[in-house]
Amino acid sequence: MRKLTVRHFIDGEGRIDLQLRLIAGEGGLDKEIKYGEINRPGLALAGFFDHFAYDRIQIFGQGETAFMNQLSYDQKIKTYNDFFSFDLLCCIFTHEYVPDKMFLELAEKKNVPIFLSKRATTRFITLFVHVIDEIFAEQITLHATLVDVFGVGVLLTGKSGVGKSETALELIERGHRLVADDMVIVKKIDESLLMGTGSEILKHHIEIRGIGIVNVREIFGIRSVRNRKRIEMVILLEEWEPEKEYDRLGLDENKYNIMEIEVPYITVPVRPGRNIPVIIETAALNQRLKKIGINSARELDEKIKKWILTEGQK
Amino acid sequence: MIEKDVIVNSDAGIHARPAMMIVREAMKYPCEVMLIKDSIEADAKSIMSVLGLAIISGTKLTIRANGEGESELVDFLVELIEKDFRA
Repeated sequence: MRKLTVRHFIDGEGRIDLQLRLIAGEGGLDKEIKYGEINRPGLALAGFFDHFAYDRIQIFGQGETAFMNQLSYDQKIKTYNDFFSFDLLCCIFTHEYVPDKMFLELAEKKNVPIFLSKRATTRFITLFVHVIDEIFAEQITLHATLVDVFGVGVLLTGKSGVGKSETALELIERGHRLVADDMVIVKKIDESLLMGTGSEILKHHIEIRGIGIVNVREIFGIRSVRNRKRIEMVILLEEWEPEKEYDRLGLDENKYNIMEIEVPYITVPVRPGRNIPVIIETAALNQRLKKIGINSARELDEKIKKWILTEGQK
Repeated sequence: MIEKDVIVNSDAGIHARPAMMIVREAMKYPCEVMLIKDSIEADAKSIMSVLGLAIISGTKLTIRANGEGESELVDFLVELIEKDFRA
């Protein structure tokens, strides 16, 4: 399990979606987030601290801020000091509400990061839970290449040297988009969704034997890349073995297991002169047809069976 | 299968050139070889994979090989890293 810190909200994966602004308590950014859960601190502010989930992420909405506003100076001193006597993880204020000076000073002193969000509370919580789930999702790193081919997330696997990167390059040349080459971080977002991204540092770089490392985004432009893509099929590239039986019909569907999720899987033999990118494009389109319920192989088979029963009998 | 641990001590960590030295050596052997850092596995025959591990000085790496020439390759890589990539 990865160690996640509050810093992830502004520096890590959460940064783009959450759009949070840190206004105090920078010293607490390295606190570990143990539970990806939130708490509305209304009851705590009112002085009821039983079962106060101080180690969760505190979300201050309009109710909390209105309550804080109507407190007298003396009440504030007591309430805030009680509140900050707990080892708080962090606080997020929605509606971009900036808490008063006393609150911010205490936060700074106690190293409790305070963030602002532009969004309304309910909207923010929905988004936040989604982002947190993703950050906490189970993940593995695969030695593979991920390309978006006609909107289908195709994970290319195979031994080193079989030509994954070269194939990806040719697909990019044909207008498809690269997510990651050689190292794909796969996250299991829920029971049926695998999301693939590249590593932060390698982002959109590709190594081509003979040229070296190139930056795909710089060479082919922004339209040739994307940051993340759902993995919808796996294609294993392997050296052509004359003795091996390859699928000639496509009637049976093979599955590739990634973190207990089954992904449609095909093996494509590589041989000089075989146009692999076209084969991959066709496989991706065929996968899309299957998804909407059209299975070419099965339909042809049905047609032939029917013909045998009717026309063939004449 | 053979597995050995090694600590990277070279100041600059494993940047492009050291990564290339690892990959070049790994390619000479038919066996499968992985570098493992914090349970993240990288194929030692792929430059991008090795670079993707972002190995800084002080990182503990596990080298795992499986197949023909495994022990020879692992020993060589351990030595290469221990000698800070100075051949």
